[in-house]
This record gives sequence, C-alpha cells and structure tokens, in this order.
Amino acid sequence: MVRLDLKNLAKSFKATKILDDVSLSVEAGEIVAVLGPSGTGKTVLLRIVAGVEDPDGGNVIIDGEDMTDVAPDRRGVGMAFQNFALFPHLTTFDNIASPLSARRIPQDQVVQRVKSIAHMLKIDHVLGHAPRELSNGQKQRTALARALVAAPKVLLLDDPLRNVDAKLRYEMRLELPRLLRTFDAAVIYVTQDYKEAMALGDHIAVLRGGRIEQWAPPSTVYREPASIDVARLFGDPTINLLPCRLDRDGNGVSVKLLGRNVALSPAYTHAAGRELIAGLRPEHITVDDASVRDAIPFALEAVMPVNVRSVLYLRGPAGEELLATVGETEAARFGRGHRQVWGALVPSEILFFDAGSGRRVAPQAD
Amino acid sequence: MADLVLDNVSKTYRPRGKPAVTAVKGVDLDVGDGEIVALLGSSGCGKTSMLRMIAGFEEVTHGAIRIAGRAVHALPPAERDVAMAFEGYSLYPPLKVRENIGFALLRNRCSSGNIDTRVRQVAELLEITDILDRYPAVISAGQQQRTSLARALIRRAPVSLLDEPMSQLEPQLRAILRARLKDYLIEHRMTTVFVTHDQTEAIALADRIAVMELGELQQFGTPAEIKERPANLFVASFIGEPPMNIFDAIITTGQDGPGMAVLGPSGETAFRLPVCPAGMTGDEPADTTAERRVRIGIRPHLIEIGVARGHDVMARVASNHWLGDQSHICLDVGGCSVVGVADRPIAARQGEMLPIRLPPAALHLFAAGSGLALAHGLATVRGARQGIQA
Amino acid sequence: MERMSRFERALRGVLIALVLVFFLFPIFWILLMSLQTNDQILRIPPSLLFEPTLTNYAALLTGRLETAAGNLDIAFMRNLGNSLLLSICAVLLSLALGVPAAYAFARFKFRLGENIAFTLLSFRFAPPLLVLLPLSLYFKQLGLTDTYVGLVWVYQLICLPLILWIVRGYFEDISPDIEHAYRIAGHSWWQSFRRIAIPLAKPGIAAAGLLAFIFAWNNFVFALILASADKQPVTVGALAFVTASGIQYGQIAAAIVLSVTPTLALALYAQRYLVEGLSLGAVKG
Repeated sequence: MVRLDLKNLAKSFKATKILDDVSLSVEAGEIVAVLGPSGTGKTVLLRIVAGVEDPDGGNVIIDGEDMTDVAPDRRGVGMAFQNFALFPHLTTFDNIASPLSARRIPQDQVVQRVKSIAHMLKIDHVLGHAPRELSNGQKQRTALARALVAAPKVLLLDDPLRNVDAKLRYEMRLELPRLLRTFDAAVIYVTQDYKEAMALGDHIAVLRGGRIEQWAPPSTVYREPASIDVARLFGDPTINLLPCRLDRDGNGVSVKLLGRNVALSPAYTHAAGRELIAGLRPEHITVDDASVRDAIPFALEAVMPVNVRSVLYLRGPAGEELLATVGETEAARFGRGHRQVWGALVPSEILFFDAGSGRRVAPQAD
Repeated sequence: MADLVLDNVSKTYRPRGKPAVTAVKGVDLDVGDGEIVALLGSSGCGKTSMLRMIAGFEEVTHGAIRIAGRAVHALPPAERDVAMAFEGYSLYPPLKVRENIGFALLRNRCSSGNIDTRVRQVAELLEITDILDRYPAVISAGQQQRTSLARALIRRAPVSLLDEPMSQLEPQLRAILRARLKDYLIEHRMTTVFVTHDQTEAIALADRIAVMELGELQQFGTPAEIKERPANLFVASFIGEPPMNIFDAIITTGQDGPGMAVLGPSGETAFRLPVCPAGMTGDEPADTTAERRVRIGIRPHLIEIGVARGHDVMARVASNHWLGDQSHICLDVGGCSVVGVADRPIAARQGEMLPIRLPPAALHLFAAGSGLALAHGLATVRGARQGIQA
Repeated sequence: MERMSRFERALRGVLIALVLVFFLFPIFWILLMSLQTNDQILRIPPSLLFEPTLTNYAALLTGRLETAAGNLDIAFMRNLGNSLLLSICAVLLSLALGVPAAYAFARFKFRLGENIAFTLLSFRFAPPLLVLLPLSLYFKQLGLTDTYVGLVWVYQLICLPLILWIVRGYFEDISPDIEHAYRIAGHSWWQSFRRIAIPLAKPGIAAAGLLAFIFAWNNFVFALILASADKQPVTVGALAFVTASGIQYGQIAAAIVLSVTPTLALALYAQRYLVEGLSLGAVKG
C-alpha cells in the first residue's frame, strides 16, 4: 500500500533550483534510501515532506491525503535530524516524550511507551540525563526514539549516522533495518554514504541536480548505473573512467583500451562508432607481477592496504591513472610499489557511458 | 630528508584553576628517513599534542625530539625546518590560493617561473588547479584543506607534519588523492608524520602506524603487524572495518580434551571451539577441569561462511547485505553476535541457518583483565603447529 | 602564544593598571566628595585625608537641605522613584514588543527584513536632540507632555533597538532544527516560541533587558524636555543642586553616588551575561 507519495516537488532558493520535479513513492514498511552528494537538496526534500519548508510546486500525499498545505504539527510524521536537534533544556525522557505530550496522551501511557522504546534502543539508563551529558551515539538514539515513539506513518531520517563514530556507525548500520521493520512506517533515509544506502534501502533514489537520476534496488544501481555520476557515487575506490570508441571489426565489436583491443559481446553492436567512456571497476582489474600473453603493462606507483584488500595506484601505457583492488595476500608481493606489473580486464564487466550525455549505454540483446 | 626521533616525550597541560592533564605519557618513536608514519587514535588520545610538539607549537614537558640527529625540542618552529598542514587550514586570507601555496618558496628565493611550475604541479596532484586564483574565503572546506596540504607538500621539507589531511574530502576523491599523495611522498622521499582518527586512512597511507590511547603508545608497527598481531584488545578492536569480533571465552580442559567455550551475553556457553591454546598448557594445574577466562578475537573476513566442512557451528542470519563488492553478514550464535564479510553474495535470508567456521589460525587470544595479546593464531586440537606468541 | 617574556608580562600589568585608574578614578573621587562638606571639597590643595561626614546623604534622604542661604526642599528621593518607575516600565514594554519582533526577524526572512531591522537600530545612532523639537511639539498636541506614559513611550527609542539586536542574535543562534523538531512532534508555532525559543534565548533576553534598563536609567535629554519636576528621573534631578546660592558639590556627589549605585550593582552582578549578550554569540565555542 503506498503510504507516501511525492509528486513533482520543486523548490528554488534565490536563483538556484534545488529540487526540480522530484517524484517518488514509498510503501508502508519500505525503506527508501535517498543518496546524493552534499548540497543536492536531500535535506530540503525531507523538510518539505515534514512540512517545515513549503515547496514551490508539487504535492506531498500521505495515505491518500494531500498534506502539502498542512502544518507540520498535524502531519503525523517523525523525523530524526543529522545534528540530533534534541531540546537542550529538557531531559532525555522529556525529549522522547515530546510527540506523545503533544497528542495529549495520559501520563501513565506516556511513561510506558517512552520506557519501552528507550529499552529497544538501549538508552533506558540515561533517561534522566540532559542531552549535553550524552555521548553522540546516545544522542542519535534519543533522536531516533523521539521520531519513533508516536508510531508515525512516515519516518524521515536525515543522515542520522553521520556524526557518530565509525565503530558505532557500523553497528547501527546493521541494527537499524531490523529495528525499522518492527514499525510499519514508510521510511525515507537520506545519506551520502553509498554503503549505507545499499545496506539499508529496499530502493535507492539517487538525487542529482535536483532530479532523481536513478530509482532502483541497490544491486541494480551498482551493476547497472544509469549514468557516469551514479557509477562514480557507488564503489570504493571510485570507478575508473577512460575515453574510448567502440569499433566494428571482423569478429564483432571491440574497443581499444590501454593499448589493447578488447573484444566485446555483440550486444554492443548498436553502439559501434560512438564516442564513449568506459567504466572499469577496481575489483575487475586483475594485476600480477608476471607477464602473460596480452597482459597490459602498468607502472605500479603506490600500494594502499584497505582492510582485507589493497588498492593499487597504476599508470597505464599512455599515462592513464587507474586504481585496482587486489586481495591482501596478493598485494604483499608488490611491496611498496614503484615497479612494473601486468594486468588484465574483465570484458564482461566493463560499463559504457555516452561521452556527451554521460548516460549508460546498455547492451541490447537482440 | 631526515629521520625523526622522539625520546621519552611527555606533555602535561596545566590550565589555571583546573587539574593538570597529561596528554602524552613517555612516548618513544623513531621515524626513518623517508618513512610515512601515522599517529592513530580516537579524539583526546594525545596524537595532535604530539604533532604540535614536533612542530614546535607546544613545549615538551619532558623528553627530547631530534631531527637528523639535531635536538630541536627547544627551538621555535621556524628554526626546525618542518612543514605543517594544519587541521584548521590556517590559510592567509588576503592571498590567493596560488600565493598561499607558493608562500614558503618565496623565502627560498626561487625564481617566479620555478614557483609557478611547482605550484601547478602540486595543484594538479590535489585537483585544485581551477581555484588557484580564488581567495580562501570563497572556496569550500574541502578545497581549503587541500590548499593547506599543497602549501605543506610543495616545500618538500625534511619532515612534513599533516594534521588530519583528508578529513573533509568527498568520498569519491579520497581514493585517488590518497594514491597520488602516497606516490608523491614516496617519490620525493619525504619523511612524513600524519595524524588521523580514521584507521582506513592510516592503513592506506602509512608505512608504520603508532596507535595511541589516553596519551600512551599502544603499538607501533606496520599495518600488517597491527592487523595480524595487535598488541592488545584496544588496538585489535580499533583497527578494521568491520571491527574485529570479540568474545568472552573460557579455556576448558574438560572431558572432550582442550578447547574453548565461547560465552554469550548472559554468561552461558554459546558455542565451543575445538582449539588448543598452545602455550597456555604450561601454566595450568594438572586438574583436568581447570578453567581460565580469556577474550577471543577474529576478523570478520576470516570467518568461513556457508561452507559446511566439519567443526562448523550453525548460526542464524540476523542481517545480510551485499555492498556491490562484498557481503556483510550479521549472524547470531546462541546469543553471540558475529559479523562476517565475504567477497561474494551469499544467498541467505534473515532467520535462515548457515554453517560458519572460525579457523583456529585466525583466532587471537587476549587476557581477560589487561587486554594484552596472548597469542595470534591457534592450533587445532590435533594440530602439530605451535601457536605464535605475541 | 604561550611564551611571554617577563618584561612583556610586567608591561601588560602596568598598562592594565593605568587603564583601570583612568576609568575608576572619577568614581572614586565622587565617592570621596560625597562624604565631604562643601568647604572640604573646595579646599586647595585637595587632600585625601579628611573626616567623613554623612550630612550630604542625610540631606538627600530627608529632603531638606540647610545652606547658608536658608532651607531648601529637595525632591531627590522622588526623582529616584521616578527613575525606577520609568526604567522598569520602559524595559518591560520593550521586552514585550521586542522579543517577538526579534523572533520574527530571526526566523522569517522577508524581503525588507534587513532594511527594517537596520532602520530600527539607527534610532540609536541619532542624537536625541535631533528629534527633540518635533517630539515636544507632538507631545503637546497629543497631551502627553509631563506624563509617565509619554516618557515610557519615548524611552522605547532607547530600549527597543537594543532588545531587537541582542535578542535577534540569540534567536539566530538557536538551530532552527530544534524548533522544527518540536513542531514535527506536534506542537504549534506559539508553543514552540514559548517552550523552546524563549527558554533557550533566556540569557540573551536577560542581558538585553539589563542593558536596556541601564540605558533608560541614564537618559537625560528626553526627561529634561518632556517632563516637569515631579516626574523627572535622577539624571535631571541632579540639576537641582545648582542653586542660586551656589553649587552644592557635596550633595551632587551624594546624588550621583545614589544614582549610579543601582545600575553599577546590576552591571557587576550580571557582567558575564552582558558580555555574552553583547558578543551576539558570534563565535561558536
């Protein structure tokens, strides 16, 4: 059942169009992750849904009712802010109880509901403290508790894990989906971290230039990004981009990359002759310290271990900058870098984008 | 380029009217010529105080600092020949970005053509060529930080000190700029010390990492040493994303032979591991039911998931996320939460049971009280291999 | 910087002492004068050692002054009462008007907002003499001359800009997200103003109120022209000591001490809040 429907939202500040025709819908119990670089209007979007900001155009519809002109205190929405926005002069208990006291719920019920949600979020032992006495993690969970306590129909989470330290962020990333599914709300989760978006979202909406550039489940966005910008947002290290041209030759379609001709699936025939940009994900470049037939020579400039893998900073035959990831143990062979290595690409994993528009050129099965 | 030695350096702050705070306690550090060292720790651990002492902005309460053999701890910053990139950027407002970067070179009387070339080189490295003619007030925080970094790097000083050099950088730029930075530092053999609270940055850039907590040096070693042989529980749980799984356990020499019982949150046994903590047996009394409390750690990516092989434990999937290039799975075994990482998608829904195996060679043992490491890698019950002692 | 040579520290001490003497000496001297008789004051050379006397204060408090030329009635205590009444009423009125206005300026960015706010502040820049003549004419027409209501209204020219500028800064410092969160939780904007904005801006409101009180108390010109003897505050009342039979320095000094004491005490008591209020929260700690 569609719980939240956003239709053609538009918002400008001075001369800049922050949101330009944004539409999406969220079902009850679904989490939609809205991802985009900072300053792209994700927070403005949430504010419009909450009602503390008025759109220049478009509608906000909750459970079939048009709420666009309704004041925020009557929309039945819960919101957790990036900077927590706790009431500094009230205790944690009063902070969490605030939505319930606004609804004139009898005190004994308030106490019971606040205690229950505090227990769920493991902050029942700090209920009597003032916000300044809490750690960032506790503040974040208090903000979350306050947003959830009145069982809102729509839950808006504005990058809630941003100001929380890395270890806790990781734990919450695992815990949040489980927690949110116990409520039946339509959830919009705004973030700048693609891993968070992939971990939490049932659907991802990539917001760029005031529009939704792609709307798809996480794995689709990763494997079939709609454009170069989307591809660059997903993946760590960022995807490698090389200009190229698809050529038709005797054996079908091929592309010249890094000085080698790479044969491609005939599904790309329709793109032959176009100026394109090839996207190579770092995990799809294999690197070895021994040369094999057709291997591409690279100058390995630096090795950067990252958790269980290492990122290799390579320079291609024509000086192209590339990043490749290999396993930890393999990387050990390469020492500190500044030596020659050989590599190969995985043709089936190469993505192609139109050089002009940036949109992905998909293979067409004929 | 020069080597840098910190000899039993301490720093105590004595603010008026408040109790004294010892920020750095007797730290010994030696940075080789051309080496890149990271000072890693959470906020308040003393790493920034250490950097500022090396630069000369803080007095050394006790101990000595030597650069290329010359004692510098009594010298003002200008006489130490050290380049620093500040966390607060500290750019000169009336100068353009290119003038900020080239400022130090003016002192060396380089020709203006030469300065221009070098400024452009460094700006290309850090992707700030398009803002070279702007003023600090109108550029973003990330660009200010890169300008500050460029200003320090261009000098190729004997010792370079970088305070959180990449904290404001957008995620997309981070990987490539780190790579270029490391390349630049290696190419010009620049001895570098940088401060960070981000362990991924420390592991990516540094030749050796000094992990600090509450003013004390916890461990000083290569990234591999710190990951594979953490000196104590703090280092083990600080490094790594996802963080290392840590369990309470009891070593039992019971009827089934030696092994370990991993305890759940309320103290009951969650599951057993048939491992022999080699090296412990010497201390234990002859009583076959002797018990000893320890803590066990295992890195998430070393847990074998989904392949039933014997010596498995059945775990219930609590959450399973595929992040494009790796899976992060959270599992529950008898109340214990276990996080595992695999580099392939794992088809298991929430609530399903999966076999998991904790390879003994991947286990780390820590003392229950002090957290000191006791062993890295254990042997199986019938294994002839000795566990390596820390 | 941490290192300051001993010479620099000594120099700093000397300079601070000089500044202190420069500012505090007049107050100290007036205090001494208030405890001397007229003859002692006019003695040449002036001396620091004398027998203190409380006759000046007694004269003020009883309202009778005995001079060589006869007895005079002094209405000083009445003037003190007027000062208190006028200042307090003016401050209360300006708070009632200024705090909501400051909130509006801080939260609702409307097109001419900055211009209007600056216009209101500019009232502080203009010397009161500039508007005095037209004002006194209007007051006569409206029948407001020599009324408490008229004076309290005029005092708004002094108090309101202060309240607006200081309290607006405090409201701007409160993150709007806090009030947004309160509204999203289900409270109306009035409740948000009462329960969130005002409590959080309390230090600023208190500081602004204190400052407004001090400035209202110190005002001279408006009260001089627009009020007559029985409604005049202490600033004007001190003029009464310049009599035909000579200037009663002793009583003037005592009057000054009594006039200055309330505001000085208030300022000393609330100095921390005043400094906070005046810096308008410009730098995030």
